Amino acid sequence: MTNEEIGERIAGYLHGELLDGERDLRIEPETPLLEWGVLNSMNTMRLLNFIREDLGVTVPPAMIAGRHFRNLAAISDLVSSLSAAES
Amino acid sequence: MEAEFDIGIIGGGPAGSTAASYLAKAGLRVVLFEAENMPREHVGESLVPATTPVLVEIGAMRKVEAAGFPKKFGAAWTTAESRRIENLGYGGAGHDFRSAQVLFNERAQDGVDRDYTFHVDRGRFDLLLLKHAEELGATVYQGVRVRRVDFSGEIPVLKARIGSRDVDVPVRMVVDASGRRTMLGNQLKVKEADPVFNQYAIHAWFEGLDRTALCADAKQADYIFIHFLPLVDTWVWQIPITDTVTSVGVVTQKKRFAASKDDRDKFFWDSVASRPELLSALRDCEQVRPFKSEGDYSYGMRQVSGDNFVLIGDAARFVDPIFSSGVSVALNSARLACADIVEAAEAGDFGEQAFARYTTRLRRAVANWYEFISIYYRLNILFTAFVQDPRYRLDVLKLLQGDVYDEEEPRALTAMREILKAVEADPDHLWRPYLGELKASTAKPAF
Repeated sequence: MTNEEIGERIAGYLHGELLDGERDLRIEPETPLLEWGVLNSMNTMRLLNFIREDLGVTVPPAMIAGRHFRNLAAISDLVSSLSAAES
Repeated sequence: MEAEFDIGIIGGGPAGSTAASYLAKAGLRVVLFEAENMPREHVGESLVPATTPVLVEIGAMRKVEAAGFPKKFGAAWTTAESRRIENLGYGGAGHDFRSAQVLFNERAQDGVDRDYTFHVDRGRFDLLLLKHAEELGATVYQGVRVRRVDFSGEIPVLKARIGSRDVDVPVRMVVDASGRRTMLGNQLKVKEADPVFNQYAIHAWFEGLDRTALCADAKQADYIFIHFLPLVDTWVWQIPITDTVTSVGVVTQKKRFAASKDDRDKFFWDSVASRPELLSALRDCEQVRPFKSEGDYSYGMRQVSGDNFVLIGDAARFVDPIFSSGVSVALNSARLACADIVEAAEAGDFGEQAFARYTTRLRRAVANWYEFISIYYRLNILFTAFVQDPRYRLDVLKLLQGDVYDEEEPRALTAMREILKAVEADPDHLWRPYLGELKASTAKPAF
């Protein structure tokens, strides 16, 4: 899966599950998710489950840090590099 | 001086009565002194499955089943983020920090032949076990307090208070099962307060509480519930006692509790008010016992055995009620101690070395509990995520079942320690805000 495809899947999840399909907000790669409260300490758990179940990548606890989740680009990079490391 | 009995047991709670049962079954002459007249009220109402093998071994399980205590199939945690109706559309109430639940039967446990354990009215439960010990042949005196033990002669002499006099009862060895009174621990000056844990509890019984008010699934209404409060190191227990009576307790830091000394009632209600659904469920029902508080209950003993004596149950160690370990430690420490005592009686030698095996095994089990409890408080609501993670779930369940008496290093502890380290090491970590305050993750208990 390319970095772009990963990004699209995650964006899809965020829109569908965490934004409740809110129409006005469109998540771009640089949209500050944490700053804007789209992602918070609570719902990252659900995102992590999605990443594990849908994308087959387990994010180790040490990497659940702000710098890896601040925007879509950071998350996609994280998932891509973990995915590459696993294969 | 001749011993009048082989074993003198101080205390008729679950530890003392279980020891009396094991030893009487083994043919020893046992005398037990219980200071109160039973039934008497006592805190510590929820059991874990590790009590089952012991109850079966001493032959008391049939009676416990017949007593009609509520059955406990599992445990559930809720947080302030929980919502009553889970409409996530997938996986139900799991998958984040909001809540978690476990069923005991998800993991097979040695010696445990049923899917449930019990929540108990300790007045009834403790009396049942004490009478059972009597039936097996122990001599039981109630309403008689042992004030101290005289170890100065060849054999120990219990000093039992009757009226204004001490009655001397010489025995070959002493089992201190005096609970939080810690009789021998005080007398021998081996008791140490825990350097880290200093929680207080305030609790009462409520009639007519809607136990489904905070659970995701009404089928779980008879689980033990642990409700996290959005206050540091604070939680609430919800334990069914009968079909209509529920025990509810707030556990929190001593300093918060001490600050409220003029009005304990208000302290309880102010605490639960931080979870509005909990407050309204409690306000809707009737409080049927006055509030009782319990404090200074975290301690250990530098010695749990010596020449002609052992300490068992709370008289040896108590840490924290969070995992309902108390009655299980009482029963299992009695089981382990009695194995050594019976052998010592056969060998005719009750010297300290005779109890080395018991001492080692108890220390190891309690060390596991201690670490589990410390990490749990530190992880706080992150614990719920841990429970739900399929990689760790069964390992955690093993601890929750009270299955800590084997030789294995608990795998769940290793994993929890790592996660905690990762979160603590990184100031940028997303879960930092959720950590609790009680910081004992690097401290090994001194005893």
